[in-house]
Formats: sequence, C-alpha cells, structure tokens
Amino acid sequence: MDGRRNAFGGRLVVSLGVLTGALAGAATFLVADSAVATRAAEPSSVIVEATHVPPLLTVDGERSDLSYDAYCIDSEAEAPEDSCDLVGSVFIRSGSTGPFSKLPLRSDGTAGRLVASVPEEITTPRKGFTYYAEIAAATGQAAVTLPSGGAWAPHQSLPLGAAIAIDLGRHAFGSSSRADERVAEVGWGDGSNDVGLEEGRNLTPIGASAFDVDPSGVVVVLDQAHRRVLRWRNGSQNPTRVPLAIAGTIADMALASDGSLYVLEFASRSGRTPLVRRFDSHGRELESTETAERTASQIRQGPLGPVILQQPSGQWMPAASAGSPIPPEVQRRRGRSGRPIRGGEEIVVLRLNNEIRVALVGPAGVRRSWRIASETALAEVQLAEPLGHDVVLVARVYTDDADEFVALVLGAEGLIRRISLDSADWAESAPLGRFRLVRGSLYQLGSTPAGAYVDRFDLEVR
Amino acid sequence: MARSHTFLACFVTAFFLTGAGTGAAYHTQFVATNCNTAAPTPTPYITRSGSATVALRARYEGYQWAGGCWNNNDRDDSPNDPTSDPATGGEGGDCSGFTFKVWRESLTESDASFQQWGMLRNVHGPYTASRFKSGHGAPNITASKSALLKMDALASESHIGMIYAPNADGTDQIIEAKGEAYGTNIWTRTYRGSSSYGGVRRTGWSS
Repeated sequence: MDGRRNAFGGRLVVSLGVLTGALAGAATFLVADSAVATRAAEPSSVIVEATHVPPLLTVDGERSDLSYDAYCIDSEAEAPEDSCDLVGSVFIRSGSTGPFSKLPLRSDGTAGRLVASVPEEITTPRKGFTYYAEIAAATGQAAVTLPSGGAWAPHQSLPLGAAIAIDLGRHAFGSSSRADERVAEVGWGDGSNDVGLEEGRNLTPIGASAFDVDPSGVVVVLDQAHRRVLRWRNGSQNPTRVPLAIAGTIADMALASDGSLYVLEFASRSGRTPLVRRFDSHGRELESTETAERTASQIRQGPLGPVILQQPSGQWMPAASAGSPIPPEVQRRRGRSGRPIRGGEEIVVLRLNNEIRVALVGPAGVRRSWRIASETALAEVQLAEPLGHDVVLVARVYTDDADEFVALVLGAEGLIRRISLDSADWAESAPLGRFRLVRGSLYQLGSTPAGAYVDRFDLEVR
Repeated sequence: MARSHTFLACFVTAFFLTGAGTGAAYHTQFVATNCNTAAPTPTPYITRSGSATVALRARYEGYQWAGGCWNNNDRDDSPNDPTSDPATGGEGGDCSGFTFKVWRESLTESDASFQQWGMLRNVHGPYTASRFKSGHGAPNITASKSALLKMDALASESHIGMIYAPNADGTDQIIEAKGEAYGTNIWTRTYRGSSSYGGVRRTGWSS
C-alpha cells in the first residue's frame, strides 16, 4: 500500500513538475513575444534624408548648380507623395576661410529636388568655394546637415586649372593584359586552405571580400565568410590563417604600417552605422569604432592613419589616429573631399558621365590635374594613387553586355601607360576593394567559379 | 527531499523545452502576427521621390526570401532566419519583392497601373530578379545602364537593387534587400559597370 502510495506520489510530482514547467515556459515566451510585437508596432518619427553629388572639380566656364535630392519620411503619411514638405539653405563662401553666406534652396519642379545656383562672385579662380546645406521638414520635426560636419567640414569645389587632357577613345574589349605573376590563389571551400563563399537565395556569391599588400609584398586576403584573413608571404604556395572576430559579411580592409589591420564592416543593423575594427597581426581585436555616416564604401591607409570614404557626404574621414579610434562626432568634423596622401596633399576624383577628373591638391589649391574622356561609358574609379610624380588610376569601362578595367599611368605630359584588365569579378567583393598599388606594382583581386586569386601587374614606370 | 528534486528537475526540463520549442517557432511568427492581406490603394501617379520614400521606410528592416512584409521600427524583427527555409515567415522583402512594392506594381503582369501597398501587407508580386532583368511585365522595361536614373534598378539573374543616389567616384548608392545577414539598407555598389547586371526601369513616373 505504501509502495503504491509512493509510486502515485512520484508520478504526481513528475506530472506537476512537467505541467508547471511547461506553463511557465510558454508564459515566459508569450510575454517576451508580446514585447516584441509591442516594439514592432512603435511608430517611427519624421526623418529627413538627403543626397548630393558635389561639383568637386570644375572647369572654366562651367556653371555650378548645387542640387540635392531630399526626402521627408513621415510614418504617419498614408501616401508617400503626401509626405511632409522640405525647406533648406546652402551656406557658402569663397575659398575655404571666412564667414558663410546663406542661399535659399528652391524646388526645380522635380519632386524632392532642391537646388541653388552658385553666384559668380563666390567662385574664385584658384580656391573655388566651400559650402554645406541644411535641409529640414517644414514642420521643424527633423533636419539634416550635408555634409554632416557642416561648417567644420564643408564640401569643397575646386577649379581644375590647366588640366592635362587624355582621350581614351572607344575601348577595345577582349584585349586584357596578362599578369606578371599570380601571387596568391585559393579555391572556394571550407578547408583550412580554402576561401569561403557566402551563398544564399537572391545572393550573388560573395567571397574574398577584400585584400591588401604590405610594402614587402606580403598579400593578405580577407576571407570574411570564415571570419579570418589568409596571409601569403613572398613565394609561399599556401597561406597562413589568422582568425578574426568579425561579422562574416562583406567588408573592406587596410593594413597599417605597424602590422595591425583594419576591417570595415559595411553591414549595419538596427539603425547603426558601419563598424571599423582594428586587429593586431595575431588577430587580437584591439579596438573598434563606428563610422560617422550611414554608408561607407572603402578604407585606405593614409599618412596619419586609416581613412574611410563615407556617404551621403562623399567625404574621406579619419577612423583612427596613432592607433586610437576616432569617434563618429570627431570623424565628421574632419571630413575632406580628397583622400590624404603623402606630402600634405590630397587626391580628388570626380567621375562625370564619360569623363573622369583627377587632381593633386595642396595647400595652395590644385597642383596638377587631368581630364580623362572616354567614348565607352565609365563606371567606378577603383583606385587613384600617386606613383612618384605620376598618378595611377584604375576605372571600369562598360557597355550593357561587357566590362573591363583600364589602368592608366598619368604623367605631366599625359598618358604614360595604359593596360586593360579582365574584370574578374565572378564573386562579389567590397565595392572598391579590388585593387592595390605597391611600389609600382598593381595588384588585382579576382575570382572565378573555381576560387579567388591576386595577380600582380608591373607598371614598368620610372 | 528526493521528490522536491524530482519536481525541480521536471519543472526546469519542461520550462526550457517548452520555451525553446516556442522560441524556435518564433521565426515563423512575424508575418502571422503582424502582416495582413489588405488590398492595395490605386494611385493616379507615382514619383521617383515618392518611391524612394517607400524604400526608405524599409531601411534597417529584415530580409525574407519570397517575403514582402515589414514594419518601420529600424530593426530586423526576425534575425538569423535559416536561409535554406523559405517558409520561416520572417520580416522583410526579398530583393524582387522589395522592388515590386517600392515600384508600386500590380499583381497582374499585364497591368501597369500604380498600386500603393501597405508596409505590413505581405505581398511579393509575380517577378523574380531574373524576370525583372529581362523586362517582364507591362510596367517594366530594360534600359541602358548608362542612362539609369534614381529609383531605376540594376538586376542580375539572382539579385536586384534600386539606384538611390550616384556617388562622385562613379559608384552608386543602392537601396536593396540584400540577404538574411544584411537585411534591407543602402550600400555603395558597383553593379552598374558589372556585366552580370542589366538596367531595368519601371515606366510611368511623373517626375
């Protein structure tokens, strides 16, 4: 009898335990789920967003109209065409010092477009003009400053001066140059000597997201899918592997002179901006910072540390100084239209339809500039780097069916060398992460259905 | 003493099993909990600027293969859905569903009219990226890539994204539903020059 009572009691305890545990578990989830649903239903506030392509480099007689595409996103508005009205002003001055004058922005009749014409008295023959815009919802609920540094770091427009003209004519596809050496090669896969490929529904294969080459010729490829870098020392067939604590999504990278490396992760979630992480040569994370603006497109090592090209300003902003991260609010105050290079100069690039304008800019203004025209459509400028007294520029030429890169060596007398390069972009990588220039050698990150590789092209320039 | 231990063990096991089981099913809950099947509102005209606003409301939201429902809280409410399972019912559009709603198209391919879909209307539309690329459907045409304007699209066989703004260096800011690990956002891309991508335009913009 006692045994039966004990057995019954045991079953009762088990049943009660299971029942109350299950109820508590379900209740806990439902409470959490309703919290998620409550958060999901939170109304968003009014947001103002604007984009603008600055006239970074102008030629004589060219009219400078400033045009902004601006949006007011009001979650309460039923129809998007009925979103709130926008008003704005441009603050502009001759050169880069002195007080700004206020110009009202007006609609040009195109929905969402605000424009202002630059008065002739503002433009100067040598130093051009600097400006920023403030655009706000007419209700005053939200506003945006572009570039985000405002008066601290305005956009700069410079006269090209006596630019060296180069005409590329019509591009002959199918005559790309052979590399002088394949310095790294690796197959897709998940093995220790493979490189990973992000794949998914609707996802173009993404792999070997970026690379860099140090001055001694060591090649480092970012294998973002495996959260590591692969490092090839000179002449080595197989890479060494260095794990990194990264998100595993598309990223760009830059090697620092102290052996550390910076990874710029473009994917940002929940309203955050892209993340820059610094790792030592063993893969230990040293520090990180967010970018100042919502979008970033490349990271490069400058004379004083890494700089990042950010949007919507289109400005280069420093991410670190002497190894210490620079917070977003300081980054935006140091934004520049050009990328800093050695000697205190900057290199400024503007692609305008089928023309690319390039300028080396010093404290006194444009020191040397080029205008490169092409009959074949020009897409992005992948690289613009000084090489001695010259500049190496890599841009993509394209039609609706074909594309290749052209690498140009631009000198004081004009075009010194031109080679065509296969686009070699079977897999997606960082948008501007495909080329690096090291001591007269141009390196290209390429991919095929079999894997990724890095080729070296010797530019054979003095 | 032994019975209290037995009770505790059963409680803890059941608690976690039930919670985990319900939690594992969470990823199928966003659409079921939040989304609707409301009819679209016909509109007499659309502007590129208005469609950019539609797209911006989806920024920072999630990605769901074959999906088309999102809210506007700047967060992926169903992160890390397994990409191999298209039936997870998570938040967000996929690339072609996102484009369909932003371009305010009809479910009927022969109909080029303008249809305003609510954010929480779960609709994908009849087009894949590949079909957009080839200009399928009465509202859609292929277009030369060098002539593309804001809110035109660049499509490959597997992906489509819309041009939000050009950059000074010749790249484009693309607004797109990229993938489960990325969600929906604006990124700088080089799709325009890539021969994998073709130009696509929704016809009928007022401005």
